[in-house]
Amino acid sequence: MRRRMIGIAGGLALVLASSTSVLAQELTIFWAEWDPANYLQELVNEYEAETGVQVTVETTPWQDFQTKAFTEFNARGSAYDMVVGDSQWLGAASEAGHYVDLTDFFNEHNLGEVMAPATVKYYAEYPSESGKFWAIPAEGDAVGWSYRKDWFEDPKEMEAFKAKYGYDLAPPKDWKELRDIAEFFHRPDENRYGIAIYTDNSYDGLVMGVENAIFSFGGELGDYANYKVDGIINSDQNVKALELYRELYTYTPPGWAKSFFVENNQAITENLAAMSMNYFAFFPALVNEASNPNAKVTGFFPNPAGPGGDQFAALGGQGISVISYSENKEEAMKFLEWFIKDETQKRWAELGGYTASAAVLGSDEFQNATPYNKAFYETMFRVKDFWATPEYAELLIQMNQRVYPYITAGEGSAKEALDALAGDWKETFEKYGR
Amino acid sequence: MAAVQTTSERALNKVAIISVLIVTIIFLAPIYWIVSTSFKPRNLATTVPPTIVFEPEISPFVKLTLRRSQLREQPTPEEYAAAPWWERLVFDGGEKIVRSGRGEVQLSGYPSRFVNSLIIAITSTVLAVAMGTFTAYGFSRFKMPGEQDWLFFILSTRMLPPVVVAIPMFLMYRAVGLNDTHVGLIILYTAFNLSFSVWLMKGFIDEIPKEYEEAALVDGYTRMEAFFKVVLPEAATGIAATAVFCFITAWNEYAFALIMTRRDAQTAPPFIPSQVGSGLPDWTVIASGTFLFLLPVAIFTFLLRNHLLRGMSFGAIRK
Amino acid sequence: MTTLTMTRLDPQSRAARRGMSDISIRNLFIIPTILFLIIFNIFPLLYSLYYSFTDFRASTNAPANWVGLANYRELLNDPFIWTNFTITAKYVIVSVAGQVVVGFGVAMLLNRDIPFKGLITTLLLLPMMLSMAVVGLFWKLLYDPSFGIINYVLGLGRFEWLSDPDMALYAVAITDIWMWSPFVMLLSLAGLSAVPKHLYEAAAIDRAGPLYTFFRITLPLVAPILMIAIIFRTMEAFKTFDIAYIMTSQPTTEMIAIRLYKMAFQEWQTGMSCAFAYIVLIMVVAITNIYVKYLNKVKER
Repeated sequence: MRRRMIGIAGGLALVLASSTSVLAQELTIFWAEWDPANYLQELVNEYEAETGVQVTVETTPWQDFQTKAFTEFNARGSAYDMVVGDSQWLGAASEAGHYVDLTDFFNEHNLGEVMAPATVKYYAEYPSESGKFWAIPAEGDAVGWSYRKDWFEDPKEMEAFKAKYGYDLAPPKDWKELRDIAEFFHRPDENRYGIAIYTDNSYDGLVMGVENAIFSFGGELGDYANYKVDGIINSDQNVKALELYRELYTYTPPGWAKSFFVENNQAITENLAAMSMNYFAFFPALVNEASNPNAKVTGFFPNPAGPGGDQFAALGGQGISVISYSENKEEAMKFLEWFIKDETQKRWAELGGYTASAAVLGSDEFQNATPYNKAFYETMFRVKDFWATPEYAELLIQMNQRVYPYITAGEGSAKEALDALAGDWKETFEKYGR
Repeated sequence: MAAVQTTSERALNKVAIISVLIVTIIFLAPIYWIVSTSFKPRNLATTVPPTIVFEPEISPFVKLTLRRSQLREQPTPEEYAAAPWWERLVFDGGEKIVRSGRGEVQLSGYPSRFVNSLIIAITSTVLAVAMGTFTAYGFSRFKMPGEQDWLFFILSTRMLPPVVVAIPMFLMYRAVGLNDTHVGLIILYTAFNLSFSVWLMKGFIDEIPKEYEEAALVDGYTRMEAFFKVVLPEAATGIAATAVFCFITAWNEYAFALIMTRRDAQTAPPFIPSQVGSGLPDWTVIASGTFLFLLPVAIFTFLLRNHLLRGMSFGAIRK
Repeated sequence: MTTLTMTRLDPQSRAARRGMSDISIRNLFIIPTILFLIIFNIFPLLYSLYYSFTDFRASTNAPANWVGLANYRELLNDPFIWTNFTITAKYVIVSVAGQVVVGFGVAMLLNRDIPFKGLITTLLLLPMMLSMAVVGLFWKLLYDPSFGIINYVLGLGRFEWLSDPDMALYAVAITDIWMWSPFVMLLSLAGLSAVPKHLYEAAAIDRAGPLYTFFRITLPLVAPILMIAIIFRTMEAFKTFDIAYIMTSQPTTEMIAIRLYKMAFQEWQTGMSCAFAYIVLIMVVAITNIYVKYLNKVKER
């Protein structure tokens, strides 16, 4: 028994010794466990071939990503040199000193122009409008829609739709059409439903979904520069947006009260819904015939416009930051210089990454590479995001608490929910002296 | 009278047998479903009604151990022909294997996490049962001031939701460098299981007649010798039963495994339900990971099954 | 509990001279465990007691500021938190009661002359060998209204187990009952097999009815071990996190441990969550204390 313990301890000491004797030629990037991380691994393999520096992309399951990243930051651990972190983390991570200030690097390489403006604003800058940058936009992402082309293009359906609504059945251009089509295809007795939307309130799923409606209706969550919320989050257009989202919920498949990216992709593969909201990053699985039996008949469209013509989508995606506690910061900066080169960004897009480089996004080559890249390109220039303040998680949970019962159970009214939310947020900002 | 009773008894027994059968089927149906899914082709995983007859596949297990990503371009026929059989299985599933910069095939987190789980669960079980046995013997045989309070204290260590102690534990571990080490998790799980181990073992040891030891002492054994040579063999069944419970707990622990590890000491439970990287769950891979992970604990329990029941009844009831 | 005390060794005996004294053996056996548990439990508890009076956040390196009782005051005034407590209480009662009924019932059945008893008992233990997170994930799929097996087998059509706010908690409890009834079954079985046969024979001679036999002989004799099972299951049910968190996110299923997790690891309100934890701890200790007192009373009978 004791011998075994000594054996383990000895083995551990060896492991520790070998991992702490830092080889300058090694870099570790931390990210969540999903396909883009695998594409990134392929990309950095080419960096190793060029420079001899071995870069490893280490991953952890999505549901643990935030918890693990912050426990690691807080432990001032040097296990990771860089992290591809969520946009909402910027406030918390920069104020706590976990991220290296990349402002000089950013300005030196003129990244404000090289990268798509929205990605700079939301993945890199904190506080809002301050000109301070903490990350390099790495994986662009936003919410878009997939739909069943075969259902939409069925002549009988087209005729019936035209007769009922007076215009042609096609991917919706605005939220009213989205609603009509959802209603049209919602046929519970045929085991077919109108639409799949985000409703999971355990993290940011539901909020992302609601944001799509709010931003397109011309609303905002608040004034990010001076923390004003009353009259903004509970504005008339936000109330209307929320009411429409609630109505869409009635056209979802049964049991749709905890759905996020997995369930929404399943809505397409399992023949449940005509249209489904999802992050662009999860669309590759829908064009792959091995994972989606309907791959050939799945189409994509960007988030439709609101009644006033505004058209914005909720932002996903991440920027890459250097961790303050890394022992290889210089090496990491060299890597970033390579990463932002045009050729690298082009290669990144080829491998399956969603580049944020404006030039690559604008190229025909990129836009024709997949059935959804064009929609992605269009979306990335009109995205908005949630609060990025250090207390964003509290704001998120408060929004879930107020909005979820209204959306899924029809409790109270949209106005009541948003008024109460405005109160919660105001109180929270007061608590932190914003 | 007696004859009537036996007939009704027999009828009652038949009812009991049928009820047991039904209960067993209900309880095992989800398990059967998991195990069968781990051998299914991906497109049969979520069919309703469930597919019962199918050609079993090994591909979920192959995929489970490899780091994969979605195929963006089909492999050329030459590439496909040149690939080993397991890589072809991955290609057939519309995926490819992720390689390192040196072209090495990368494994998924599963194999190394599985090994870590084995090391950590086995060691901590041995420790918790050993310490539990000693302590239970101490409480059972000797007077201890405030005995009831101490026993309640030991029990109370298991009352808190793990998230409560997680942050202080994390900070404490960070201070002493136990974060992300096997030793760290072993100590943690030992502490976690000790309360159960002490309580259960005390029940067993209380049942062993103290006359056995007294006889040994008279024969010139020291108290220590009497404990090891007389009491321990008598308590073997109880030890087996306790070990099964401790092993199950340590094997499946999730919350601390998540927070206290980051690379070297990661265990399997947080990994298994996470096969959704592409935005679509591959239920066959999740099922195969679950099935493989169930095997060690099921085998362990099966080997100790006779001790388990006897051990339980041994310690259960006080005269 | 009765304390078995050994007769003291004659100090002149050979054994006593050669070996350690009883006191030192007792200390050697008990004190390491107690010390170990103190370090691993009391220390974190003191740590979090201190934090519960501060505004500390573990996600930053900012020093903690003393805020006195502010955290406790805020928590006790938060209506959402009280809902969390009510939900947890409801869940604990439903789930533990279900496990006791099912587990004890199956044990009663198995206590008869059943072929392959050992094998069946072992097979029935399989559910509790799975990890909670995996169980949650698979049961979510089993409950799915569109492609789940449960509705198909029971012919329930599109019944929404987890999306119906009133049903969701029971659906989670059913899963918990499936997973942990075997635990109660095993302990009950052990208790049942230890009931002396002659008591039943005596009851039969007295022509006692089955109900009388059950309530006067079986139940009292199995009660102590059943209480141990209930104590451990209650404590575990109070801590329920993984299963519920994975299966549903209804406000009606947000139990204490889930709220606590969000507060501690999503919001990083370390100080506040420590205060919350203390409120929970006091409640659990109180409940368990009542149980243990009752257990001791049952044993004395």
